[in-house]
Amino acid sequence: MAEGQTLGELLTRHGISRRALLKYATYVASMMALPPAASTAMAEALAKARRQSVIWLSFQECTGCTESLTRSFNPTLENLIFNLISLDYHHTLQAASGTAAEAARLTAMKENAGKYLLVVDGSVSLAEDGAYSTIAGVTNLQMLKETAEGALAVISVGTCAAFGGIPHAKPNPTGAVPVSEVITDKPIINISGCPPIAEAMAGTLAYLIAFGKPPELDHLNRPKAFFGESIHDRCYRRPFYERGMFAKSFDDEGARQGWCLYELGCKGPVTYNACATLKWNGGVSDMPALAVLSPISGTRAVSIGLCLRQWAPRARGSAVPRSQVRRWVRQVRLCCVPAKKAARERNNHGFA
Amino acid sequence: MTPEARSPAGSLRTGVVQAVLSEIALLLENLAATGQAGAIDLRSLPLTEADRAELEDHLGRGEVEARLAVAGASEVWETAYAGVWWIRHREAEGEIASETIAVTRVPEILMAHPADITAAAVRLQEILTPRRESAIGEETGNG
Repeated sequence: MAEGQTLGELLTRHGISRRALLKYATYVASMMALPPAASTAMAEALAKARRQSVIWLSFQECTGCTESLTRSFNPTLENLIFNLISLDYHHTLQAASGTAAEAARLTAMKENAGKYLLVVDGSVSLAEDGAYSTIAGVTNLQMLKETAEGALAVISVGTCAAFGGIPHAKPNPTGAVPVSEVITDKPIINISGCPPIAEAMAGTLAYLIAFGKPPELDHLNRPKAFFGESIHDRCYRRPFYERGMFAKSFDDEGARQGWCLYELGCKGPVTYNACATLKWNGGVSDMPALAVLSPISGTRAVSIGLCLRQWAPRARGSAVPRSQVRRWVRQVRLCCVPAKKAARERNNHGFA
Repeated sequence: MTPEARSPAGSLRTGVVQAVLSEIALLLENLAATGQAGAIDLRSLPLTEADRAELEDHLGRGEVEARLAVAGASEVWETAYAGVWWIRHREAEGEIASETIAVTRVPEILMAHPADITAAAVRLQEILTPRRESAIGEETGNG
């Protein structure tokens, strides 16, 4: 990109019209529950902005977060984000490898000092001075510290980077911690989920580029636009909840008729994420994964539930075999809090 | 097909439509009185498939319909109420990406942006320039 060129000029050069940018801004504004009129302001702001340098570091993770962003079902809209950013380092996606890859990171850090965004997925190992996880001979801990130093802000994508995730679970042999326990002097935005929803990542980036500041965050530093409402609030089974129509088992007539799964232990009421509105698998993801969310805590519900959802067959119209769902339920129950504790939690939240 | 459409919950009418219609009426009165445009983001509302169909039935179809090929398909139509537009943006695979009721004289997405007009003028000049040079060459016998 030529020095000083705006995104608007860049898009024009690539044959992408301002209508496309407006459509993208409308899409992002809708996702982020911004007033409809904000889409025009966002499109104009994006057109005037410079292409944003982004350095993406992957630590103790499974690459699911990257998969979520790059294998989205909406290549024309969601992938427009890749025209708005300059992804200067991502060791899974970049063509360069070895010394050349690390040189690209150092060059981007030098050329965009104080201006680049640092995206991190995966938790950071602290045990043995971080020796459990290294890239190019550098520990994750050291790489995070040196890269965050010149960053404008840090975006922790996925539950591992945001809250520690699975590596952080006991006995935590690597001493895994979230990014926020290492970096304390930079603005941190957490986009949790396992994986996080592609639209949440792309939308947050687009907002940052357009308005030069993070979107409004909740007490866990998550964008309220995506984490402000519970899954229950926007669940398509919600009308049955209002009518007191609850499935009593996973395969009874009520469950088949789409009745509310609350009495089966669904943690939708205490799980805050946008999956009920943005959905998964191109917007066709159904509720079996939510059914699997039976007696687990809200935070884990997001993490484990979405992991399971990621494994669900992606073919449109296909159904998860009931035997598979039963296996998942058994597996999840093995690592979950007892049902009585879950019931107590529900009562504490006033949903009894 | 969305999960709502597949499930019986999608066939429920929640009563939200009346509230949406009232909001549209207010925005339309405001447009008529002040010229100020407004919009309602349908995706932000808990509409079931049945609600959506009911709203579409109430608003009907007007004189203008447009199909756009912009980063996927989009459909824009004026409802039976002048100044009330239904804008539906789709993804590449046809799923609805955003859906808005715009209360305005002409939706912005239909208007050509000045930057696109400038770029188009340059592109057209680039096409014409070699022809002109060629025509000049023929007139002077150099062609």
